[in-house]
Amino acid sequence: MPGLGLRSLAYLSLGPAGNSLRVSVFRKPSDDGEAGGKVVEVKLGDGDGKIGDAQWRRIAYCSVTPFALLQSRKNSMLAMSRVSASSSPYGAEWWDYVKEYSREINVLLGGQKLPPSSVIEDPRIVLKKVEEPNCLKAAWELMEIFYADKQTQAWTPERLLDWLARYFLFSWQDYNSLLSGPQPTVHSKLVNFEKELAGLQTIEEDAKYWEAISSALALGWLDIAVKILHLHGSYQLDQLGSRELENGLVEAVAVLISKMPRMRPELSPGKLGECYKTKPDFIKAWETWRAQITKLDCSAFWVECDHRQTREGLKNLLQIMLGNANILCSATCHWIELHVSHLLYIRPFTMGLESMYSLAQKCMQLKPMSSPHKLMRLLIGIVGENIEVVLAECSRSFGPWMVVHAVELLTAGSTQADILLHEERFNLGGISMVELHRLVYAQFLSSHALTWQNIEICRLYELDNVRSKITKIAGVHQWKHGKKGFGVFWLQQASDEVRLNRIAQQLFDFVGKSISDESFKQWEGLIELLGSETRTAGGLEFLHKYRDFKRSLQQVHDGIATNAAKKAAESLILLMKNPSTPHRFWLPLLYDSEDFGFSLCPGYGLESSALRTILCHIGTFCKSKLKLFNWQECPLLNASQTNLLLNKLQELSMARLQPDFIEADLPPQALSSVRLALATNLGCAILEE
Amino acid sequence: MAMNGTPHPLLVHRLPQPNYIDFVRWVPPLSALDRLVAAAVFDSSSSTSALQILSLTQTQTQTHPADLTLQSSWPSPSRITALSLSLLRHKPLLAAATADGSIHLIAADPVDLGVDSVGSGAIHAGPVSGIDLVEGGSEIVSVGDDGRVNLVSLSESRLSHRRVFDGNGLVGFAAAKWASPAEFATGGLGFGVQCVDNRKPGGPVSQFRGNWARGTSSGIVHSIDIHPSRKHTVIAGGSSGTVFAWDLRWQQQPIILSGVATGEAQAHSPLESEVWEVRYDNYMHSLNIGNISSSRILPVMTCSEDGILAVVEQDEEPIELLAEPCAINSFDIDGQNPSDVICSLEWESIAILSRP
Repeated sequence: MPGLGLRSLAYLSLGPAGNSLRVSVFRKPSDDGEAGGKVVEVKLGDGDGKIGDAQWRRIAYCSVTPFALLQSRKNSMLAMSRVSASSSPYGAEWWDYVKEYSREINVLLGGQKLPPSSVIEDPRIVLKKVEEPNCLKAAWELMEIFYADKQTQAWTPERLLDWLARYFLFSWQDYNSLLSGPQPTVHSKLVNFEKELAGLQTIEEDAKYWEAISSALALGWLDIAVKILHLHGSYQLDQLGSRELENGLVEAVAVLISKMPRMRPELSPGKLGECYKTKPDFIKAWETWRAQITKLDCSAFWVECDHRQTREGLKNLLQIMLGNANILCSATCHWIELHVSHLLYIRPFTMGLESMYSLAQKCMQLKPMSSPHKLMRLLIGIVGENIEVVLAECSRSFGPWMVVHAVELLTAGSTQADILLHEERFNLGGISMVELHRLVYAQFLSSHALTWQNIEICRLYELDNVRSKITKIAGVHQWKHGKKGFGVFWLQQASDEVRLNRIAQQLFDFVGKSISDESFKQWEGLIELLGSETRTAGGLEFLHKYRDFKRSLQQVHDGIATNAAKKAAESLILLMKNPSTPHRFWLPLLYDSEDFGFSLCPGYGLESSALRTILCHIGTFCKSKLKLFNWQECPLLNASQTNLLLNKLQELSMARLQPDFIEADLPPQALSSVRLALATNLGCAILEE
Repeated sequence: MAMNGTPHPLLVHRLPQPNYIDFVRWVPPLSALDRLVAAAVFDSSSSTSALQILSLTQTQTQTHPADLTLQSSWPSPSRITALSLSLLRHKPLLAAATADGSIHLIAADPVDLGVDSVGSGAIHAGPVSGIDLVEGGSEIVSVGDDGRVNLVSLSESRLSHRRVFDGNGLVGFAAAKWASPAEFATGGLGFGVQCVDNRKPGGPVSQFRGNWARGTSSGIVHSIDIHPSRKHTVIAGGSSGTVFAWDLRWQQQPIILSGVATGEAQAHSPLESEVWEVRYDNYMHSLNIGNISSSRILPVMTCSEDGILAVVEQDEEPIELLAEPCAINSFDIDGQNPSDVICSLEWESIAILSRP
């Protein structure tokens, strides 16, 4: 073998910032005199692959496009299925879309491949660094295995194996005490073995040698198992002659290991095993392979093999391949390792999530763990087929971005998940879980809280209810902070008629209290904002008419203008006749009409009729300041109009007896003074007519 | 749609930035070699804001055809909510308004490209929503969420202001633009546009209310522009993709260029969400300004929350220049070279377009 006889040294040290691991590999000068070596720095983040703020934002931004594409594809497929009335809305291409989406998201999550650590293959280096650890990416890939690819469920155990090898067992477990604490793993065992390798003379006599092979084999790391097996002393040229039979057995086991059938489309270069893409082919191959193992196990050659350790060690390997549960248990350390070995050798035909949870529980009982890592918790949630646990783990460990995007994978093939996530929840304020998580994520995407971005995202993501709620909140917020115009604007965006009507009522009170020129101009702007008469809200329509009425009153106030006064009186009658004028405003309206002062009414008593004089005096006496009802030139309201107002007043007196009547904020004598003023006016009007 | 009939393709460079870019403006070149950009930036991790001067370098490489290099930076006390630029005695003068109601006048040094505040003042209660520097001067008209309209001027390195109108928060404004050194227009809630003559007391000389926008519950004008040669027309962009022109000579009815208010005839309008900025597009009408009658509205460029940068023209299909997956918050057309447009994208990047 080409590299035999070279000795390499590997040093591990922490990087300067304490968050990276430096792996240095030195080779002795080879025959051509060239010294070799390589230093590789492995970034550890803060131990669980933390992602910086700016990188998070970049991920969030870039993931919107694939997300939106998937949504639009989903919508168009749903629309198509409605037309064709087929039972399932999603066709085969749906899975291609989901896979494409998942792949694009996966790419965004980064994770550079490390450069190969050594150009020349070294038989004494059994472990290789594969990829920079990144928890988020690992979690995404785990979800991808179980949810994004329903067509290849038969490959799930093998894909899970690869995932574990890539992220969990191989790369970083040793560096992170969070994962396993002081508990040993197959990987740590192999690392220790590798360190001792240089000092061992006849390694096949050491129990650690056979343990290392068993453990690697139990996890399906066939290349490692075979590589270590090839270090067996019987391969050495000087011993080959004397240990021919022993070497034959070792080689036979090595060949069987390397021929193990794998239910997977392909293997990465350097990996051993034979791939089968379809289940029938795989089952056939598996049975043949098992028969070969059994045959070897029963072979007569074992009796002739006088090297005890080799005989027992090899027999043990055969038992692993035959799926001996006890030996698998002793060959593995962590529960997940035991789980994987069961999938490989005891339940090789497992499809998807089939009975994985009970297996996981069994393994955890045999190999209990303390404080599981977040990826383990996620895995347990997934194999437990509990969507709520999966979502909770995603949210707790990876944040809102993960939840929103993972939901797409979760619901891709599961109607049950789809219903669960889209059902409106009372405890979430009437929105569904999908909406809730999208909303949280939308906030994450937005540079300001409660602003246009949220609203735009709600529009894009079809969160109409949420949109109206946000705008409502914005409206109330602005209103309370004195930005009444913006408050009205946002409430209109929310179509919140209830609050708009309440605002209209409040406005009425404000406008009623002060009608100075300056302030009225401002209020006018706001009343304009409240909208045109096309709006259905009675309160607003009323407020517009009220504004016109006030405007006329204002003109009356500004000068002796009989026309303006007549107009005001007409507006008053219109308002009082209009069914949209709320009950509670009747009295204030009438009272407003009188609340004008006497400055412009010098004409009392100068009128010809003595009766009118008397009537007017009664009005004065009652502190009535009824401008419209006591216009000095002529009564502005005729007898029937006055009667109408008196009737309304009577109706109001009756209404006051009702328990739900809201009393206007007016002096107690308002009703009587208005009544008296109206009576006075009635008298004048009758006289006039 | 699209760029039918254009001989060369539109070149677009997207340059990711380390911050949010709230506003971006071309700065008139201080020397023949420079191409400068002013950007109002916000760093969300440290919650700091700044006004930056960046120089744009065009490289010949295919992968990296343009690059922005930071030249100088002025730290802003709070997030910049409006930015305006003018040339005062051949030096660029920038006015930045902030979320805490202050306004800052910042001068750029032509030699070392340094930026320094020449005057500032607390002018509004709450965010300033729109400012405009008068052409060739330092007088500013500012409007805010507080419903106030102020005229701000520099005296002895302090900004003093005169309140033109105080809406006490009952009405709010979002945009302001000078028409001449004595006249300006404002825009805001209710699709409202107001024209004010500085010399005449007693409020706006003319007011326009967007009651025409039937079918839409409410609207807001986010941005307005006035062409120096056509002071009788104000163009405005706002809610629901609405872009309209209001001609003071025909005050009753606006000319609608885009938006949901246009009715079914133009229901295929590309703009659906908030139009953040509108600006007359000099490039389009420099080609044939002589042929355009004074009653016809000149082409207008718009950017919107749904990520569309487009040129809209009266009675014509809009031309879409960019369709981004995120909002386009602001843009500017290079005054010297109107084929070039710069815009700031919501997702922390700047896009530079050069039109054929």
